[in-house]
Amino acid sequence: MDMSVINSYIPLYRDALLLTLRIGWQGVFWAFIIGLGCTLIRQLRIPVLRGVVTVYVELLRNTPLLVQLFFLYFALPKIGIRISAEVCGSLGLGLLGGAYMAETFRSGLDNIAPVQEESALSLGMSRYQTLRYVIFPQAASASMAGILANVIFLLKETSVFSVISLMDLMFTAKDLIGMYAKTIECLTLLVMFYLIMLLPVSLLGTVLERRLRFAEFGN
Amino acid sequence: MKKIRKNTIIAALTALGLGAALASPALADESFRTLDEIKESGTINIGVFSDKSPFGYVGENGDYQGYDVYLAEHLGEDLGVEINYVSTEAANRIEYLQTGKVDIILANFTVTPERAEEVDFALPYMNVALGVVSPEDAVIESLDDIGEDDQVIVISGTTAETYLVKNNPEIKLQKYDAYAEAKTAFENGNGVAWANDNTEVIAFSIENEGYVVGIPSLGSADTIAPAVTKGNETLLNWLNEEIVALGEENFFHADYEATLLDTYGADYEDTLVIEGGAVAGSETEAE
Repeated sequence: MDMSVINSYIPLYRDALLLTLRIGWQGVFWAFIIGLGCTLIRQLRIPVLRGVVTVYVELLRNTPLLVQLFFLYFALPKIGIRISAEVCGSLGLGLLGGAYMAETFRSGLDNIAPVQEESALSLGMSRYQTLRYVIFPQAASASMAGILANVIFLLKETSVFSVISLMDLMFTAKDLIGMYAKTIECLTLLVMFYLIMLLPVSLLGTVLERRLRFAEFGN
Repeated sequence: MKKIRKNTIIAALTALGLGAALASPALADESFRTLDEIKESGTINIGVFSDKSPFGYVGENGDYQGYDVYLAEHLGEDLGVEINYVSTEAANRIEYLQTGKVDIILANFTVTPERAEEVDFALPYMNVALGVVSPEDAVIESLDDIGEDDQVIVISGTTAETYLVKNNPEIKLQKYDAYAEAKTAFENGNGVAWANDNTEVIAFSIENEGYVVGIPSLGSADTIAPAVTKGNETLLNWLNEEIVALGEENFFHADYEATLLDTYGADYEDTLVIEGGAVAGSETEAE
């Protein structure tokens, strides 16, 4: 391995890491918001919107991100809707992640015995209060492992961004290999930079998971 | 919880180990098949493009077609083996040879000094330069016409990309990893121009209305040649003899007429075709 090659590539990988992180976290943020919105709609049993949520979740969970990005980036401009590559990236991740988050939250909520909701309601709490103070905190604890898995999954899904010309980590490595053929150096750097990006997330998630255990009452 | 953390550490160590393994030179050796080994196995793996019409593409009936494929078919016949076509992208042509995934790359591979360090090129069979195509209502006739915020579409791993990165680093590039995507993006107006092999952009402007090749020739005149894994001498020598022999029967003119005539017309035939590996001005090379 040629260290001078590695040193000269590091700035490019750093830029790629920043771009990957920026778009990745925007995607994760939107995934949370969308996932929460879907969960609220389901829990409050809002008619019509519930159906929309079901269609959305099934559509997005059962198509690859690659296909979704193709659609956003290459198909929409044909009907006059033009979205920049970066927005396509975070939007794609957000929409895909939202569907996954909605399912993860749901499984967390399913974990909570119906008697808890019934007790809260019989104590005179409103439906919203029941969700906010009784159900959600426990569900958050139960779904933490799933949420963490989703976050890591979404950050790794950035590796298909090359199709919409975003210079993420994966594409930067492929691009450099294509130009200068330093395969070993490029791929080693690639593994290292993915670890730099994802190991802290794993560790942080583990800590969070432990802290949220307070809600696991009586199990 | 403890278990999770332990797993994370193990994963990290494994990854680093993998990195170290990749770095060891032992893996890079002997990743090719000799001519005899190919003949014995009865199949040759040839890397071609699947989306670069009219040089290498998958036709309506699902078969590989084009100028490169026409040559590949002939090579298979003369070797007496079946051909297993492997679809490649521009950026992974070198890797496919280095890892032995293919025996020959016939994917419109331009000969450059950088690439010649990584793979062995046989005698050339086509001329090429770079070209830039742009919409006719905003023609780019020189690289100076490209504004500060304008983006030029290129395909990752092509000579056009390398040329612009090296010689015009101020130009913003929008990179794609496949021809099909770059073309769609260009049609959607995502960039002011598309830089690629001039053969490719000329074909694009002929096939699509509203586009002009404002810069028909950029950079040096290059050639396109088959490539084999570095050090695969038996296969390389056979290919060179084959190309010289094919030149005697004017094979590449026939190839042009079968695959490129519809796109380029007869005008480009003598500028594009190289017969018997003899580049104009250096006939000795064919000897």
